[in-house]
Amino acid sequence: MKLNYYNIRLLLGLLLFLMILLLTGCWSSKEIEDLGLIVGTALDIENDGGSWEEQDGEYSNRDLITITNQFVTSETIGTGAKEGSTQQKAYKNVSETGDAILPTLRNMILKIDKRAFAEHSKVLVIGEDLASTVNMQQLLDFFLRELEIRPSSTILIAKNRASDTLESKETVEIPAFQLVEIIKGYERTTKILPPMTFAKLDGKLHSGSSFLLQNVVSEKGEVKFAGAAVIEGKTKKLIGVLNNKELEGITWITGKGKGGLVKSLDEETDQPIIYEVLSMKSKIIPHVDGDNISFDVNIESEGRIAEHWVLSEKPFNNEFLKRAEKVSEKEVEQLVKNTLDKIQKEYQVDVSGFGNRLRIEYPKVWKKVKKDWDQTFSEVPIKCKVKLTIKDYGTSGY
Amino acid sequence: MLISSNDKITTSQALVILVNYILATGILTLPRTSVEQVKTPDVWISVFLGGLIAMIVGVIIVKLSQQFPEKTFYQYSQDIVGKWMGRVLSLLIIVYFFTISAFEVRTMAEVTGLFLLEGTPTWAIIMPFMWVGLYLIIGGVNPIARLFEIIFPITIVIFLIVTFMSLGIFEIDNVRPVLGLGMLPVLKGIKTATLAFLGPEIMLLIVAFMKKPDKAVKVVLVGLSIPLIFYVITVVMVIGALSIDGVVMKTWPTLELMRSFEIPGLIFERFESFLLVIWIMQIFATFTITFYAASLGLAQLFKKNIHPFMYGLLPIIYIIAMIPKNINDLFKFGDMIGNIALFLFGVLPLMLLLISKLKGRKV
Repeated sequence: MKLNYYNIRLLLGLLLFLMILLLTGCWSSKEIEDLGLIVGTALDIENDGGSWEEQDGEYSNRDLITITNQFVTSETIGTGAKEGSTQQKAYKNVSETGDAILPTLRNMILKIDKRAFAEHSKVLVIGEDLASTVNMQQLLDFFLRELEIRPSSTILIAKNRASDTLESKETVEIPAFQLVEIIKGYERTTKILPPMTFAKLDGKLHSGSSFLLQNVVSEKGEVKFAGAAVIEGKTKKLIGVLNNKELEGITWITGKGKGGLVKSLDEETDQPIIYEVLSMKSKIIPHVDGDNISFDVNIESEGRIAEHWVLSEKPFNNEFLKRAEKVSEKEVEQLVKNTLDKIQKEYQVDVSGFGNRLRIEYPKVWKKVKKDWDQTFSEVPIKCKVKLTIKDYGTSGY
Repeated sequence: MLISSNDKITTSQALVILVNYILATGILTLPRTSVEQVKTPDVWISVFLGGLIAMIVGVIIVKLSQQFPEKTFYQYSQDIVGKWMGRVLSLLIIVYFFTISAFEVRTMAEVTGLFLLEGTPTWAIIMPFMWVGLYLIIGGVNPIARLFEIIFPITIVIFLIVTFMSLGIFEIDNVRPVLGLGMLPVLKGIKTATLAFLGPEIMLLIVAFMKKPDKAVKVVLVGLSIPLIFYVITVVMVIGALSIDGVVMKTWPTLELMRSFEIPGLIFERFESFLLVIWIMQIFATFTITFYAASLGLAQLFKKNIHPFMYGLLPIIYIIAMIPKNINDLFKFGDMIGNIALFLFGVLPLMLLLISKLKGRKV
């Protein structure tokens, strides 16, 4: 085809026609002003439910779940940032009750004017009561399946009502973001677990092993992280909680902590010595002898004296350092022992990675004991050795 | 149709064609399909062995093609097993090529429909894709090779960057122990792993286009090593982050990996769209090269001009692409293609090579 006058005109005509298609722009775009960004979600069980379902003309005797979504919209952000008009909060919580997740979420359409958009959802808080009655796999199916919810968001367990953790006295704060920021503190304390995201949770649920979720408490409009919730692998339900001390023990056993403190009392003067963890390593060594399984836990850590109230001694003196090491070691040993007692005797679940070590070191043995591991674990002897090394004592030698 | 002397490709072009053909749908699903078979973290060993097997097959194919310089499989198969048998074999391979092409198109439509263009009808995703592909292959093998040369470095750079960003959620314990339950689980995964390396069969045709056909063995070895490295990295990173039990739960595990982490502070926090971009480019590459291989086959079989066959195949590919009713059908369709390929390229080239050696070379 030669490019003569007529051909060029024809081509240009075709081009014009094609350009009409482009004029529509992004025809399925959603304006950000019209979106209600979900930044956090809370799930609670409803004990006196029933009445809400009647609105839909159906009654169900299944457990009713209240979903609270925390929305951030253009309006809430706009007023929250302005000085003076601090009456309105930076977020808006909307609740709805139902017996499955998605239908309940869709019922929210009936009461909000924005299109809910969950791509930026950061955190899911589940109430303790709900987690102990409903199988987590069933409860979270929607969240693991839905494309709009990212596998990078984190799961927490709330001590009382989960929806309370998404409330704040401060008008400028967005509670969901606050929660996420607090989680990041796990690098500086042994009392917060590394974040459990949906991505990790899916594997845990499917493998059938027990695990821990970070617990959060809401008191008088303030949220606070406190201990961890124990989820049993078999039932996939919450069976109990560990307090802060026990959670510290878990962190020492797994060696996953990146920092933290050990407070111990000097034996002679009864004054506190604070050991700050600079590095932490833990080796769980499984031993298999016939049908007998046992574990050694070797914990090693390096750190410094960050504070001490013992007036009569000074860290310039090596003997005092040795003494401080000893008491701190004892303290850690005590933490670990308490924790092991609790999870082995009381809850009878392995939440600190012993099974995982056995799987790696003795895969064939693991294959046999895998099914009833939590049961087996509760009777396994565990020996613990702690070695702390104090490397320095900051800028003060006294 | 003879190959004109100016439609030849260099050794490096042959290499990128091979690599771009191999890298396709597999990279998104391989971690799941192989873990389903192996069930231990040793999947990467299976992938490694699968790659080695594919290399052996590739070398056999190249040796076969090198016996008949300047001729593609469609032409020389008739020299080996006679006119009719050769035609039947060629036809089988042609069908295989355009079926693969349809499969790639449909997988692309499913993934983009799910992750990028929610609500866009499947035909609206497929059609522009196919038209652009048609436009490319009308130019012949040289434009294809040149486009692939552009795609190739982009793929490597983005893939490596994005994958290593997931190191933050990598847990070494998830990929241990190595060979904990012995070699048996590893062997179970070899078939699945080998099928991820579908692609050396293109050497049945490409050798004829090469300026230096004697370098073809090198092309196969290097061309399979690159996807091999890609696959091993992918499998290790995905299992390391999601664990064996998590991987089997995911429809598209590799994309799930990219969605599982965010890196605040960079210009982008989320990286799955990057992976999708290079993945769609790779699908396009596989689609065009198989589409071209099928049309070339028909043209050489009927000794006619290639262009009408290209236009003619377009609706056929579209119809085949629309056959699977849902995503499970699509995965089954993929398995079926794999099984056919196993026979077609695992057994056949070796037999043909033996026959042609026994008969002695005809000039």
